[in-house]
Amino acid sequence: MSASVGPHSGGVGVEFRRVGLAYGARQVLHDIDLTIAAAERVCLIGPNGAGKSSLLRCLAGTASDRQGAVLVDGVPLEELSRQTLARRMAIVPGQVQLPFATRVEEVVALGRLPHEHPLLGARPADRIAVLRAMDRVGVAHLAGRDARELSMGERQLVVLAMAVAQGGRLLILDEPTVHLDLRHQVEVMTLLADLNERDGTTVLAVLHDLPLAMQSFPRLVLLAGGRIVADGPPAEVITAQRVRDVYGVEARFVPGVG
Amino acid sequence: MAPRQRRTRPAKPRSGLIRTSLLLLSAAVLGAACSAGPPAPSVAPTASPPGPPTASPSGIPTASPSVAAPSPSVAVSPRASAAAPSPSLAETGFPVTLTDDEGTEVTLEARPERVISLSPANTEIVFALGAGDVLVGGTDFDDFPAEAVDLPDVATFTGVLLEQVVDLDPDLVLAAGNAFTPAADIERMRDLGFPVLVVYAETVDEVLTDIELIGQAIGRPEEATDLTAGMSDRIEEVTDAAAASGEAPRVFYQIGSEPEFYGPAPGSFIADMVELAGGDPITTSDPAVFSIPVERLVTADPEIIVVGDAAYGVCPEQVAARPGWRQMTAVREGAVRPIDDTIVTRPGPRLAEGLASLAVAIDPDIELASPPPPVTFCGS
Amino acid sequence: MSTGVAPDLAGTRLRLGRWEVLRRRPLWLLTAGLILLLCSLVAGIVFGNVPVAPDQTLAILAHRLLGWSGPVTWSPAAETIVMELRLPRVLTAMTVGTGLALAGTVLQGLLRNPLADPYVLGTASGAALGAAIALLVPIQVAVLGLGLLHILAFTGALIAVWLVYRLSGGSSAGSLTSVLLTGYAVGSLLAAGLALAMYLSGAHLRQIFFYLLGSFATASWQQLLVGLPLVAAGSVLILMRARSLNALLLGEETALHLGLDVRRERGILLTLASLVTAASVALAGLIGFVGLVVPHVVRIAVGPNARAVLPLAAVFGASFLVLADLVARIPGEIPVGIVTAVVGAPFFLSLLRRFRSGYEL
Repeated sequence: MSASVGPHSGGVGVEFRRVGLAYGARQVLHDIDLTIAAAERVCLIGPNGAGKSSLLRCLAGTASDRQGAVLVDGVPLEELSRQTLARRMAIVPGQVQLPFATRVEEVVALGRLPHEHPLLGARPADRIAVLRAMDRVGVAHLAGRDARELSMGERQLVVLAMAVAQGGRLLILDEPTVHLDLRHQVEVMTLLADLNERDGTTVLAVLHDLPLAMQSFPRLVLLAGGRIVADGPPAEVITAQRVRDVYGVEARFVPGVG
Repeated sequence: MAPRQRRTRPAKPRSGLIRTSLLLLSAAVLGAACSAGPPAPSVAPTASPPGPPTASPSGIPTASPSVAAPSPSVAVSPRASAAAPSPSLAETGFPVTLTDDEGTEVTLEARPERVISLSPANTEIVFALGAGDVLVGGTDFDDFPAEAVDLPDVATFTGVLLEQVVDLDPDLVLAAGNAFTPAADIERMRDLGFPVLVVYAETVDEVLTDIELIGQAIGRPEEATDLTAGMSDRIEEVTDAAAASGEAPRVFYQIGSEPEFYGPAPGSFIADMVELAGGDPITTSDPAVFSIPVERLVTADPEIIVVGDAAYGVCPEQVAARPGWRQMTAVREGAVRPIDDTIVTRPGPRLAEGLASLAVAIDPDIELASPPPPVTFCGS
Repeated sequence: MSTGVAPDLAGTRLRLGRWEVLRRRPLWLLTAGLILLLCSLVAGIVFGNVPVAPDQTLAILAHRLLGWSGPVTWSPAAETIVMELRLPRVLTAMTVGTGLALAGTVLQGLLRNPLADPYVLGTASGAALGAAIALLVPIQVAVLGLGLLHILAFTGALIAVWLVYRLSGGSSAGSLTSVLLTGYAVGSLLAAGLALAMYLSGAHLRQIFFYLLGSFATASWQQLLVGLPLVAAGSVLILMRARSLNALLLGEETALHLGLDVRRERGILLTLASLVTAASVALAGLIGFVGLVVPHVVRIAVGPNARAVLPLAAVFGASFLVLADLVARIPGEIPVGIVTAVVGAPFFLSLLRRFRSGYEL
């Protein structure tokens, strides 16, 4: 699983080396070694409290008591300025709250902040990027509408468009399908696959929905109790035995699906 | 093993900060209030006045330690230190340097011919000294004499209209102390080059001194001395007549009734007046407090109630009908009498008659050489 | 980042047009705003309690400010009125209007709360209490022409904010709700202190009362020369932080992911907004409504992009306050805070109904 993670003109790779994380006295991650190559599409799965979101937090730099090293595109996290990091990596927020009426294109335009000129603000190149992102994600038809009036599914897509506009070649998503109906779930997964295969964007997501994860991602990483239990293609990772051990649930596999 | 990266800070104790802040806050407020002493209640009390607004235009002074801030210039004494007028100061008494009641020295180059008055008392004084023609501006509360009402208004409840003052180009401004004329406005006028004399009396005697000060300032010292001599005589007559009865009944001078009852603070100007008029004033609990709880009033049991807010529609029948007031001696004996508060409280030329009027309200049988002006409120 | 337009954008070209209009409006509005400001300043100087003919006014200004040496047709009183009373007054109103509008925009963006105004962190109560203490204490102090009132009002405002900041967790990523709540609590505490001071104040009650309503009546060059640089410097620095405000639109965590140093920016924005508010309050007392409503009015027109909202709020806040002061001045001397509320509120309500239908705060 260790493809080269050096600087890549396409995707950006991530490496976790012996990463641990503690919240006060409680250790939530133990010695995580994980490498994600450029242009891979990986999903973190596991039961509640397994440490999936914590691992993402280590990557985002919001974990304060972290052990080990995290490298993005081969460079340790601490050596990257916030802005540089924001240009390489886009984290798709969950549900966002907007205090003021904001148009969809204005939300997407926020993704260009890491690239904006400090004084001039958004330049033509930035505006083109916004339009392209909206088109790519398929929310161009929502332009001009107040983002707060959209359905949850539409809002998630808008926020995804914002991340795409950020232009980073690494996309991080924490539970992007939580409040979405079936159609939107499929839309989002298709989009991620598209971004990954066509543009070479590395995608790292956390999902709860096992069947969805198995269907949409070529590589799954199963976390339990703060450790990696399994790592590989879905068929290898999700077995009846594993599900019983990790989730404590009896699973039956129906042939032809997943 | 890579070194741990601690980025959290240990929690700081916050209770100490809260306690300290609270202590400092209370100390600051109380310290300021205490050092300010008991200032005059010129704003607090009244029933809804149809005429002059709540600001008690006469500026009731109190006999408190000097509240008015001493100014940066040389302050020899906080009282007007104008020397007794000598014959040489009569007409050609200018230029003259006077020290006003805040201790500021004000120099007048020549006899003022354009005078602005910023309080009804000052307006009355100038008219009483026969110099009404030099007045070019007054306040919108000026109501006496009749000509005063027509003066252009340069001061209202909210403050001094500086543009009007500049436009009238006065060579003397008579302001009122104890914040009746806002200090900021006084400062601005001085900055703009106008001589401002601040007048503030805390006792009856100081009112007389102020009249003489103003007399000096406008070049009518002899008229001022005559006026104060006359007032002095009348005051003496009244106090003697009041003392003659040998009794000093308990008197409650009601300054206002909305939303609470307001009476004189201990050591205040009105308390002083009541004493001079032969009464034993019932006062509030503290020089800084002007409201009096009903319980305190009932316990004190006034023998006479003088209704100071009669001009604002509060009449003896109303007072007598108040719950809990019925057992007061004054109410039982019908000794609730209205009075025209402007002459009693305004530190101007009619003060002596105000004292007489108060003495008559306290003892209707008092023997005076001439009666005071009749009270026209409440059909009495 | 290619600058070409990919073929699949053809469908969005229609939308582009609409967005172009939005982009162009800010400049357009800014020009209109500057013209309005200029007219307000002129109107503020020409009109007043005492009539001074407009041509005389302009002649006086030209004479004193530009050194024009024409025939002197005006009286010394008129010159004093224009130069010593009206000119510093309108400039002070302009300064305070700018400061309050900018502070309001910053705090609304920082706290992500549309009901935030410059006073939300206790600045109002702190300043009022400082002013009340100054009025009660019989000390005459003059520093650079500023009396004790201004100094204590300024300090009081800053102390209040500092207290809120420390009590709510300081620069660590404490929740914004706790900051707001602490602001409310500290403000209430200081207001209680103020009420106590007012109770004990006697004759000075009136002055404290009018301070609370705000007024430009005693504006002077001395005060302006100290206050204006403070507000101007703060305003320029705020205008430069538009990007931070934009990043904060979706929350602090998203701002972090977009590359913002949230902790540092929070401290900087808070400090700037507080300084500007404290200076404004020291100059003119507590004038409400400007800081709350002007940013919203601007957002209705140009959206929440701080790069557009900040300069527009500054310009329109200034004009609004200059005009409000003019209205307050003419009939007598109504406290300007009354005018801003009475005039501003219906205007704002009508805007809410007409534009951006469904604009929810």
